[in-house]
Amino acid sequence: MADSLPPAERLLNLVIALVNTPGRMTKEQIRASVAGYDRDGSTEAFERMFERDKETLRDLGVPVTTVHGPAHADDAGYRVDLDAYALPPMELDAAQLGVLGLAADFWQDQSLRADAARALTKLRVVGDTSADTDAVVGLAPRLHAAGPALAPLLDAAHARQAVEFTYRAASTGEVLRRTVEPWRIIASRGGWYLVGFDTGRDAPRVFRLSRIVDDVVPVGPTGAFVVPADVDPMAMLAASQQGGTRLAWLSVAADRAGALRSRAVQPDGEDPPAPPRPGHDLVVVPFERSADLAEELLGYADAVVVLGPEDLRAGVVRRLREAVAMTERLAGRATDGERRDG
Amino acid sequence: MAERTPERLVRLLGLVAYLDRHPGVSVEEVAAHFEVTPQQVLRDVDTLWVSGTPGYWPDDLIDFDADSFDSGVLRLTQSRGMTRALRLGAREAVALVAALRALSESVGDLLEPAEREVIASTLEVLTAATGDAAATMDVQLAVEARPEVVAEARRALRNRRQLALRYVDAADRVSERVVEPWQLLTGDEHSYLQAWCRSARGERLFRLDRILEATQLDQPVTTRPGRSRGETFTPSAEHERVVLELDQRARWVVDQLPVDETTDRPDGGMRVALRVASSAWLRHLLLRVAPYVRAVEPVAVAQEAGAAARAALAAYDAAEG
Repeated sequence: MADSLPPAERLLNLVIALVNTPGRMTKEQIRASVAGYDRDGSTEAFERMFERDKETLRDLGVPVTTVHGPAHADDAGYRVDLDAYALPPMELDAAQLGVLGLAADFWQDQSLRADAARALTKLRVVGDTSADTDAVVGLAPRLHAAGPALAPLLDAAHARQAVEFTYRAASTGEVLRRTVEPWRIIASRGGWYLVGFDTGRDAPRVFRLSRIVDDVVPVGPTGAFVVPADVDPMAMLAASQQGGTRLAWLSVAADRAGALRSRAVQPDGEDPPAPPRPGHDLVVVPFERSADLAEELLGYADAVVVLGPEDLRAGVVRRLREAVAMTERLAGRATDGERRDG
Repeated sequence: MAERTPERLVRLLGLVAYLDRHPGVSVEEVAAHFEVTPQQVLRDVDTLWVSGTPGYWPDDLIDFDADSFDSGVLRLTQSRGMTRALRLGAREAVALVAALRALSESVGDLLEPAEREVIASTLEVLTAATGDAAATMDVQLAVEARPEVVAEARRALRNRRQLALRYVDAADRVSERVVEPWQLLTGDEHSYLQAWCRSARGERLFRLDRILEATQLDQPVTTRPGRSRGETFTPSAEHERVVLELDQRARWVVDQLPVDETTDRPDGGMRVALRVASSAWLRHLLLRVAPYVRAVEPVAVAQEAGAAARAALAAYDAAEG
């Protein structure tokens, strides 16, 4: 019969059938009686479709339970337990639904956007109908997209299953296969990080998601590890970023770098490592990661000169030299090209 | 585009459970509640009407009161036991809980007590319903700005009043502007004020940490946000097109910038086309990725960045001496 029924409608009929069955339905019964399955097609095609459908339903929070008959193992049947799929009793008022709408709008990644939107649809069922409410006026959170690694990492972290991926180390640029027990995924300061146990190195490590160069693949059994109780993933991330706030002493051209000036602080009692340049002002700003501030300062070119600390100064100078090297490299290429053309 | 199967299925099941709780709701109300069109609700009802338990005789099917339906009201007369709301999947729960936690932890200071209370109570209800599923993800939002600027912007947003801003842009130019504030976009790296800029006669995003001063004015906000989701920059054909050849270490450029077009090279490198509205922005970008740049078109752009770098190095030399 209607094997052309859209998948959503076939799944709907499957769920209703499995919820209402007095005991269980065998595959044969499902195939013969549930609208949307092709009873005349091949057994293989049916099995494939049914397996896929079970998986889709499980992902949506509707677990299909396998029930074995009393007599033999091969008369296994299926059922959906209401208690397993139902949301615990809860109510949401209109303002709370409004806040959830705001939360669902958080995600830039396609997969998490879809997850959040579905969650919202489910919660609307227990939500109050009412006029548009703007519970939190004029606030719209947004995150950088995390990329394709996020969804499989979240799944693995939840299932407590190890993952494998290829990773480019920040320090060396070396590309290596890593096996990690994923503990926690963290979005912070424009970056996405995985904190977990690197089984190859036998130590906890922090990974940046944007440096994962291929697909994240789950490996081994689920429930394979527990996150140690004394682990503080946030602290590990902070430590990996050389935490701690320091002061940058900057010589800033008059009337320039308003954005830096707006963050300036008054250092108490400390003397600048060097005086500002003539016609410049001394501006002191707090910073955490020297690499981030160095990158920001590049944009000001000669309008801002770092007086200290030394690692920040060296970081800026190194990047400036790399930029000069780039120009020379490109100019060299252009000349080569002309020579070849000539 | 056709709706994906999981989304439709979840709504179909949700509609039955919702209508079981709310007998006699108009099609328009249901559509507004689920944020779909009334036409979609009618299509969903058509589907539900022919769905049910095997056999599919009239008594097996989900059913609605026909008289009510004719007058545009949905009244469920047979639910086939599908009256429970679906629980959240693990990723669904984590997506909402992490977002709410980020809101309450990172942005809490910007909120009114009543708003904080709503977020806290929502989080509580949700956590009670989902358990520890959400312990796998943390999100920190960065709201780096002068507190008085944020407070004033929030006040103007609530009162729907215009704001006078003193703003310093990416090219380090200070300007005075009058804007109609729409919303605060709080992000993980930077936060922005999305507004209609009366001075520039256009929609603009102002980075909060670059707003030097904000003052609420008496004039009301008269414009409404457009359809854009407040992208920080939307490339368009009028902007200069620049092509960069980068090696694989600069992959984050492709991930984080508004690129027009990317071509991957066999060795992991890539060719990236960008639309560039601000030469200062482009210069800054080139200075940051310099070691990974293999080619730039037009090449003058790279020379300009190099000249800026030489000038800066000269300033460092002068500071040493």
